[in-house]
Amino acid sequence: MFLRQLRNELWKLFGKKRTYIGFGAFLIAQLAMLFAFQYSNWQKDTARLLAGNGYLAEQYISALTVAVIMLIPQILLLMPLYACLVGGDMVAKESEDGTLRMILCRPISRVRVLTVKWVAGLIFSILLVLALGGMALVLARIWFPWGGLFVFVPGPVRVFSVMPAWEGLAYYGGTHIVLAINAATMFTLAFMFSCFNMKPAAATVLGLSFLLVNLVMENMPFFEEYKEFCLTTHFKCWLLVFNQPLPWPDILKSLSVILGFNLTAFIVGTCAFFVRDIKS
Amino acid sequence: MQDLSLTVPRGEIYGLLGHNGAGKSTAIGMMLGQVWPSGGEVLVCGHNVQNDRQRALARVGAIFESPVFYDYLSGYRNLEILSYYSGPTPVARIREVIDWVGLTGREQSKVRTYSHGMRARLAIAQALLPDPELLILDEPSDGLDPEGIHEMRETIIRLQRELSLTILLSSHLLNEVEQLCTRIAVMNQGRKVFEGTIAEATRRHNWVRLVTDNFPEAVARLRAAGIVARDHAGHLIALSPGKSIADAVKWLVAQGFPVHEITPEEETLESFYQSLMEEQRVRLNQPLRLPTG
Repeated sequence: MFLRQLRNELWKLFGKKRTYIGFGAFLIAQLAMLFAFQYSNWQKDTARLLAGNGYLAEQYISALTVAVIMLIPQILLLMPLYACLVGGDMVAKESEDGTLRMILCRPISRVRVLTVKWVAGLIFSILLVLALGGMALVLARIWFPWGGLFVFVPGPVRVFSVMPAWEGLAYYGGTHIVLAINAATMFTLAFMFSCFNMKPAAATVLGLSFLLVNLVMENMPFFEEYKEFCLTTHFKCWLLVFNQPLPWPDILKSLSVILGFNLTAFIVGTCAFFVRDIKS
Repeated sequence: MQDLSLTVPRGEIYGLLGHNGAGKSTAIGMMLGQVWPSGGEVLVCGHNVQNDRQRALARVGAIFESPVFYDYLSGYRNLEILSYYSGPTPVARIREVIDWVGLTGREQSKVRTYSHGMRARLAIAQALLPDPELLILDEPSDGLDPEGIHEMRETIIRLQRELSLTILLSSHLLNEVEQLCTRIAVMNQGRKVFEGTIAEATRRHNWVRLVTDNFPEAVARLRAAGIVARDHAGHLIALSPGKSIADAVKWLVAQGFPVHEITPEEETLESFYQSLMEEQRVRLNQPLRLPTG
């Protein structure tokens, strides 16, 4: 029964055109970035960096390297936008349209309705990440050769990693597990707001605002001590997956915070939804 | 809501009347577990909606004003989605309700291509999916054109006659309620102010139309003689208990008042509603508001 209800929820979700906005936006952004990589100084700068560290640039300026570089800004900017857009719609849109009233005149509990919606949202988040990573790699492969993976991220995260092609692909796949958890958390955040009595746009904006405030606080020296409390700090743990050897304690700590937040947001949303009156 | 209890006899169409804000939709929301009461409990078919929702709503269907669906999906897909919130529903049952409401042939079209009338029929189809015993209709004619209203009215009659459903109809349209319902309840400020049959409602005041030369003086004397209890609108009198029209005529003629016309006045539902609301207004000292229609 749960699976049938989940299938129906997915019909509803993927029947809407706006669900595909994120996929389309990723495609356009990636094409634009590829164009920039091909015709800018990026290749020369990267080759210089690799040569300075004793690596052959021809081996590591590859589809995998470009795909990872394309992911970084998209994860930071586009992913929250589209995960929150769908999360904010999930309950509030049905409430606004009036279809929620029609669902809740049936002998189904509110918790069950929300759980089905949430699981459908998690599936959407996973598909969004898979599409993002898959598209990035396929498009990068069209323009760049197959080769080793080179990841360099300066700053507090500090990642410098060089690995052969197939090992790099495995790690690239591994980061997508973490990215899917990140996307699901962004979705759940907007989903939580969506469970309150508010418009879908308000839920989306609140979700995005929360993430933006986290990001701003994280980057202000004044809040240095409180960085660990910022969700966006922990979202960056996907980049740590490229480090050799794998910094398991750091990754697991961040994942625990993210998963804990995810669960908390779902419980808060469920409680808010449970006590509210559903009226026309 | 204050101490609201409605007894809807099995197989009847029961009307719920009241102006905007009277509490009809809130009452229906409570019956369906969509609105939480601040106190007390809500029982539907003997089961508590808050604690035993599964059983209370297992055989209940509902339609709300201006039916809304997932416009980007087909009518069939909408029914399939909604059916699984009630429990496993065979495909044959979905086909059966589509056929019953006359949407066969259009069920695979997207709902956004449906007319208001077709949406209303789809709304009835979704309400029939769980094979309900009780059907709750909240302003089902809202937003329909006169043809659609007529079609909805005929469908409600069919639902009762062919499927023997018990129907709770909330409506602003007094003539619709008068035509369809056998029993009504009137709500005002969250309270039930009348419950009874349409016949009881329209004969509630026992008004008698009296046409005489000097109505005010005649009424004053009839009151003093204990024959008339009250009067209304300059031509209506209500006889005191135990007094008949013959008593009034005999007394008027004896006192020298010519009686040009005296006849029992049957109220319409509209006049009953107006006088009931006026009574409430006087009691609560609030401005009079009337339903549309």
